[in-house]
Amino acid sequence: MMPSLTLGPVLFNWPVDRWRDFYARIADEAPVDTVIVGEIVCFKRAPFFADAMGEVVERLTAAGKTVWFASPILVGSDRERAAMRDLVTGEGMTIEANDMGALALLAGRPHAVGPMINLYNEATLAWLAGRGAVAVSLPAELPAASVATLAKAGREHGVAVEVQVFGRAPLAISARCYHARAHGLHKDGCQFVCGNDPDGLAVTTMDGQPFLAVNGTQTMSHGCLCLAEELEALVAMGVDRFRLSPQAVDMVRVAQAFRALIDGERDGRDVAAELGGLIDAPLVNGFFHDTAGARHVASAGAALPA
Amino acid sequence: MRDPDTTPDDRARLFEMRLGRAGLGLVPRLGGRLSDALLDRLFQRLAARHPRAFATLRSMPEASLRIEPVDTPAALTLRVGPALSLRVTRRDDDAGPDAARPDAIIRGPYARLLDLLEGRIDGDALFFRRELAIEGDTALILALRNTLDGEEMDLMADAASIAGPLARVLPVLRRNAGPALDRLEAARRLLPPPLRRGLDRVEARLAGTRPASEV
Amino acid sequence: MDGFELICPAGTPAALRAAVDAGADAVYLGFRDETNARNFPGLNFTRDDVAEAVAYAHARKVEVFVAINTYPQAGNLAPWQRAVDDAARLKVDAVILADLGLLEYAARRHPDLRLHLSVQASAANAEAIRLYREAFGVRRVVLPRVLTVPEIARLNAEVDIETEVFVFGGLCPMAEGRCSLSSYATGLSPNKQGVCSPASHVRYEPRGTALATKLGDFTINVVGADEPAGYPTLCKGRFVAGDTPAYLFEEPTSLNAMDLLPELKAAGVHALKIEGRQRGKAYIGAVVGAYREALTAFAAGQPVPRLDLQAMVEGGTQTTGAYKRAWR
Repeated sequence: MMPSLTLGPVLFNWPVDRWRDFYARIADEAPVDTVIVGEIVCFKRAPFFADAMGEVVERLTAAGKTVWFASPILVGSDRERAAMRDLVTGEGMTIEANDMGALALLAGRPHAVGPMINLYNEATLAWLAGRGAVAVSLPAELPAASVATLAKAGREHGVAVEVQVFGRAPLAISARCYHARAHGLHKDGCQFVCGNDPDGLAVTTMDGQPFLAVNGTQTMSHGCLCLAEELEALVAMGVDRFRLSPQAVDMVRVAQAFRALIDGERDGRDVAAELGGLIDAPLVNGFFHDTAGARHVASAGAALPA
Repeated sequence: MRDPDTTPDDRARLFEMRLGRAGLGLVPRLGGRLSDALLDRLFQRLAARHPRAFATLRSMPEASLRIEPVDTPAALTLRVGPALSLRVTRRDDDAGPDAARPDAIIRGPYARLLDLLEGRIDGDALFFRRELAIEGDTALILALRNTLDGEEMDLMADAASIAGPLARVLPVLRRNAGPALDRLEAARRLLPPPLRRGLDRVEARLAGTRPASEV
Repeated sequence: MDGFELICPAGTPAALRAAVDAGADAVYLGFRDETNARNFPGLNFTRDDVAEAVAYAHARKVEVFVAINTYPQAGNLAPWQRAVDDAARLKVDAVILADLGLLEYAARRHPDLRLHLSVQASAANAEAIRLYREAFGVRRVVLPRVLTVPEIARLNAEVDIETEVFVFGGLCPMAEGRCSLSSYATGLSPNKQGVCSPASHVRYEPRGTALATKLGDFTINVVGADEPAGYPTLCKGRFVAGDTPAYLFEEPTSLNAMDLLPELKAAGVHALKIEGRQRGKAYIGAVVGAYREALTAFAAGQPVPRLDLQAMVEGGTQTTGAYKRAWR
């Protein structure tokens, strides 16, 4: 299978105009194959994007992109459940499930499994494949050895395996809104303060070290996950799909860089250097190298051409 | 010091604790060979009674832990790993020439450390209240805490059983701890400081560390 | 059933005896390896320990559950499968699992083994829970600590399965089993290695009268001389998001839902769970004893006594957590 590029859903609460413009530019200029859309972090944000969704999907589809719809990460309340059910049972859409409830409703129908489903081993992958999963996006914290085993299992079961190669890593989800809490507000009266931080709210330690980024009920890494230097190794493992997670940077340029990398036109170090200058955070790859996710491990050329 | 709410059990405990603390304070003064011999005997006794814990301690990677009761002049150094050992040193000579820096240190009042060792009190609760301070290899301290907490230890009885006369006296002391404690307390209150130190020596003798005077 | 089943933790055989003697209906524990979510140094049970634990507990009409609730490592499923096989052989009363592949294995290989769904699976809605019941025959679900009591009630009304909820102990502010914070700071995670903010990566750094806590490369708290300390857990740390340092995710606090017994009963909850396999037997004895006393009074229709567990709780404060909407 030819490696392909996926643009993950926008995880931040961007103003709807910005959101619509972002996708218009992606449709026109970004060399990505699949675009996954949907508000998956906070149920309260979803109505803002509902009206623009049809237009965005149409535009992306017209540009030749495959469009999938992502289901929410945390589904607890009745209203969240109803929304999830409406989405998942909708006709003619491919769904990426991010919660076991969505997965339950998708049984027997081709679907994708998102990075928020706990997929850690080949037995789980086989079980998911048996229920109709055609693609899986692996959790960010998996080390290289696990990725390799799962890529192999994916081949055996006819499931495309995806790894996130760019963007802040999603680290946790909660019923509590930390954006609201940081502003002394309650989730029910949050005033949508998460809208002020298009790349998340910076969290530093008491010693002033940048550490995390809060995105409403989600907690993300401060470091920007980047596996440009590992991409060749990933392809060699049999990973089919590479996910770019949107940040408030020039994502078209990010997509172009990774496309050139996949096509063998640029090397990983060169791409990492460019991306490092693009985002106001260090590039990290520790999860893949089986160490602290916040670290950057020099790839020592293992994955690079001589 | 006397709390009207304390039960006879509590008071027996207090009495034992004082004896133990005094005894511990004396050990480093015994001279290296004798204190080592005493501790090795205690250790063998504990190993026989708590094989599970000792197997765990021996199976751990080699490391040393210093236990510092802040209200005694002595400290304990526990070496875990295949060459498991326990040594007592004076608390102030951690800068000595052969005193390698321990991998971890746990510091707190003697009574709290003893409670912790015997699983009478929850280590986490002590830590939350800031009654214990820890430094260095936190995993080592946690491993030791968890290992010891998995046992039903009676350190005073074990210590007494290797320390000569107290082996016979302890059960009696425990029964009579209340009145004995009253007398000790009353005596202590009446005594000028130098004599209070004398009383400490009496306690020390009771704790079976008598050989000190014979060295 | 008038009351609740009381499910109590044990990290060591001594803690198990303490829990049984203090009035547990069931004790949950883990093997001494990465197959359980409290894989802490010096803690947990060998196979022989489990055999003894089962004998001790069963002789006193108390059940034993084994938590095998981490996610098996790709390419290395054997330790987890062996754990399930051994739990079955040792005649434990249930295994508590989270991983889909391992649930499938257990259901296929040991059809008579009772399966409980771990909180680490974070099954937070009726659709998800029904899936685990129908696919693997899961009999009980430990609910994630993200639901309010009314949400639990509706869930129980919809799905025919026993529900177990946490009532006391450490509180994860994040959805359990869906958190890589520890992994981000240390490389070790609850899902992979069964550890969160592992002690091996914690260092305390005295700074005058203050005490700094470091986890891996990051300072997760600095407490002044008179402040109580919390667990050195990442999400219980103090961080700066804006101007001043604050407990951004959760204060150092413990869950205590003793006041909610009537509501939980009305919501159809079957079993109450106490957290703390990493805590000492003194904690186990005190907390289990207090809850047994409360449940006995509750079952008899008497007022639930006010029991003092203040000394046992993190940071010296207690919360009802997500059970009340205001927590969010």
